[in-house]
Amino acid sequence: MRPIIGITTYVEAATWGVWRDLPTTLIPHDYTAAVTQAGGRPVLIPPHDDTDVLEMLDGLVLAGGPDVSPELYGAEPGPLTVTRPDRDRAEMLLARRALDMDVPVLGVCRGMQLLVVAADGSLHQHLPDVLGHEKHRPAPGVYGEHDASFVPGSRIAGLMGDDLAIRCFHHQGVADAGKLTVTGRAEDGLAEAVEDPGHRFVLGVQWHPEVVRDERLFGALVTAAKASPTARQ
Amino acid sequence: MRRPLIGMTSYAQQVKYNSNDLVAGMLPMTYVRAVHAVGGRAVLITPDDPGADVLESLDGIVFCGGNDIDPAYWGAERHPETEIDKERDESEILLMRAALEADLPLLGVCRGMQVMAVVGGGSLHQHLPDLVGHDRHRAAAGTDPLAADASAYGRHDLIIEPGSIAHGLLGSHATVNSFHHQAVDDPGSFIATGWCPDDQVIEIIEDPSHTYALGVQWHPERTNDLRVFAALVEAAAKRSGLQPQAFAA
Repeated sequence: MRPIIGITTYVEAATWGVWRDLPTTLIPHDYTAAVTQAGGRPVLIPPHDDTDVLEMLDGLVLAGGPDVSPELYGAEPGPLTVTRPDRDRAEMLLARRALDMDVPVLGVCRGMQLLVVAADGSLHQHLPDVLGHEKHRPAPGVYGEHDASFVPGSRIAGLMGDDLAIRCFHHQGVADAGKLTVTGRAEDGLAEAVEDPGHRFVLGVQWHPEVVRDERLFGALVTAAKASPTARQ
Repeated sequence: MRRPLIGMTSYAQQVKYNSNDLVAGMLPMTYVRAVHAVGGRAVLITPDDPGADVLESLDGIVFCGGNDIDPAYWGAERHPETEIDKERDESEILLMRAALEADLPLLGVCRGMQVMAVVGGGSLHQHLPDLVGHDRHRAAAGTDPLAADASAYGRHDLIIEPGSIAHGLLGSHATVNSFHHQAVDDPGSFIATGWCPDDQVIEIIEDPSHTYALGVQWHPERTNDLRVFAALVEAAAKRSGLQPQAFAA
């Protein structure tokens, strides 16, 4: 059987079919498609205090979403910070337990920021205030496209090869990566990739590899998941 | 001891939330909360990845509500009111066959019950108002079924066959909510054990030769009566050698 890859989810009021503003757990199809294409079997993990679900998973994607609650890194919420405290609580528990169990983890956008906060780091709450430009989130529904630079010899440098183009959509960013190592940066110096070399596979990226079904990253997660001690072959 | 892992079949379709309008895998939180309330751990199985290998990691599965099943599966022409979801049909029929084959404890809710009947070789009524002459299985009298929310669901009585699994869980009578326009005609390899007494529409099917295979036409996840979910989680825990959590509903 394929390795099982859990993907964390949103809980939002959603409208489809006959339903209007129904509380719904969901994840964009891009994430499941990226995992499937890379050879994994995606399942969605709605927020809950239970972390034992990790015993049945071979890998974890911490997905994109709303801002991480600043209280978790000792800051007051800024005026443009939008949070979902229930999701934060559940995903922090899940992230910490995944690190304890050494389950392979890929953090995407918010997921990368969550990894940083779990590693005692902190975030910028609104990048235009810090950087003076909107290039990381040009307009609603428009990805900022730029080239990143990666630290030679890092995991992400090896995975990306010569194609350095990334697609971003975020208004927060990493201020202090805590115990993680910053292995990729944008031209303006903002952290775009973080890793934890002390674990089998812990990679966070600020951009959205799922949108292009990037097999370099999702494939690496699935490969690590196949080698999991938890993998039930 | 970990909670029994319960797979939930789900939607993959266009959805709007906040300022987004995109294709997502998703499920109403009522289903997730129902499983969590009775001590299970819900994970969603989206139909955009067909494949039954995931069942090896699960302790139980819920086939959830949704659109109509393509009547081609039981050899009928499509009724004008029938709205199908091809991707979900293919994914769930594959999962249902494999779940029954593996004797994985399973609960079918609304469409999920109908998937059970179709995979069991049975058939459905495609539009109940044609058969029973009223729309009370879909909405309360005087409300618009297509605008129906939980408060506007239809309600009706239920009678349950003595000696059945459903009778052991629910007793001989109940009142249930209702939001469907199709219904089981022939339950195939399953046994019908519950009916609406007003029109004899089948409301429960089961197979006592399985560890737990029960289908209900109503929506227990939208009520405080989660006994059919609790029985699923209990059966899942027992089969996998897990201690069931205290019933917390």
